[in-house]
Amino acid sequence: MSFEPKILGIACNWCTYTGADLAGTTRLQYPQNIRVVRVMCSSRINPSFIFRAFQLGADGVLVGGCHPGDCHYNTGNLYARRRLAVTKKILEFAGLEPGRFRVEWISASEGNKFAQVVTEFTGQIKALGPQTKFKIS
Amino acid sequence: MAVSFQQIEEKLKTEARRLLESGEVSLVLAWGKGYDEKHPMPYVAKCPSDADGIVFNEYCTHNPARYLVRYPRGTKIAVAVKAADSRAVVQLIQEDKVKRRDLVILGIPVYGIKNPKTGELIDGKTTCGLYNPVLYDVLIGEEVHGQPVSSPYAVLAEYEAMDRDARFAFWKKELDRCIRCYACRKACPMCYCDPCFIDQRKPRWGEKSPEPAGNLMYHLTRFHHLAGRCIDCGECSRACPVDIPLYLFHKKVAKDCEEMFGQAAGMSIEDKPVLVNFRMEDSDKILE
Ligand code: SF4
Ligand code: SF4
Ligand code: FES
Repeated sequence: MSFEPKILGIACNWCTYTGADLAGTTRLQYPQNIRVVRVMCSSRINPSFIFRAFQLGADGVLVGGCHPGDCHYNTGNLYARRRLAVTKKILEFAGLEPGRFRVEWISASEGNKFAQVVTEFTGQIKALGPQTKFKIS
Repeated sequence: MAVSFQQIEEKLKTEARRLLESGEVSLVLAWGKGYDEKHPMPYVAKCPSDADGIVFNEYCTHNPARYLVRYPRGTKIAVAVKAADSRAVVQLIQEDKVKRRDLVILGIPVYGIKNPKTGELIDGKTTCGLYNPVLYDVLIGEEVHGQPVSSPYAVLAEYEAMDRDARFAFWKKELDRCIRCYACRKACPMCYCDPCFIDQRKPRWGEKSPEPAGNLMYHLTRFHHLAGRCIDCGECSRACPVDIPLYLFHKKVAKDCEEMFGQAAGMSIEDKPVLVNFRMEDSDKILE
């Protein structure tokens, strides 16, 4: 059986989630491996969400937020960018493949970009194979 | 070192007595006698006669800045600090946990502090490698110069060069040994959250008892919470009863933060902690 990764998407309400919605209403095709959780802003994302997701079996985590400068709360994603950059470094030093975690800025009108990023990321995770390092067996 | 440990101890006692007698401060945080000479303990002097109990020797590794956050805001406190300890004070000021005006910082330049467990000299390998305090009101002794410079990040090269799977195996082996005594968090001057995320029940972030998954959750999150805040005193690792080299991970995160945001923790009270700050010129490169 081919490997179908489990991908956690965390998307901000105002841009990426709306962008995902647009991808849906315009009937764009993208892999069904992603499960999207909506948060109010990318800065709402506690890094522990990401550690926990990997422990609970996620093979990849994709975070989506508004483009820098466009955050609904003005500066949320500017803090989130710094914080999530640290998260990525920590995952990597702990020995997890950095490619399993990605942050993308996708606006409400970028349904295409959403579909494209999800497709690309899913392919990447498939190539990396199942995530077993953090997963609680 | 030009000034001996004995002389530093005398000067500390004198300063502490003077400050307590004049009422300038209501307590002095320093080191006192432990069960033997090799194990001095953190010490709080509350009245002039307590000043006699202050001890300073080559095994005074503890970071007295740890205790600043225990007292109500506005308490006038004198705190004795070595180089790294002074950075903790600076970082606590940046985070507005203590006010500069409430503190009298007794800075101690010192080279030759040793780890009582191993007898090893404490330098850049396990701490920040500075020997002079970065901020003080009263200098106890004289600044030390000409000591071997030891880079705080040199020790990382070996681990950064490791194959990723080998590094995972290394950390797994180390963190699996954790007995969750929480001495690391107790010793750390920057761990002051109440409650600590790992003690929360709702949401429950991870197991509280020692088992691999909970250990990983506790440590990864703790490393993250200390990003840009850890001042590399190395106390967490020295406090650890099973000798987990936590300092390596903290150093790595500190190094990454310094490279990405151009600022080391606890160096200036004018700085803002890097993760509660941003610059318009920050770039997406850091996410790559
Ligand atoms: S994490 Fe360790 S080295 Fe860093 S400030 Fe806390 S006790 Fe010191
Ligand atoms: S001091 Fe060591 S054993 Fe205790 S909780 Fe920290 S890492 Fe674990
Ligand atoms: S609301 Fe989208 S990133 Fe802040």
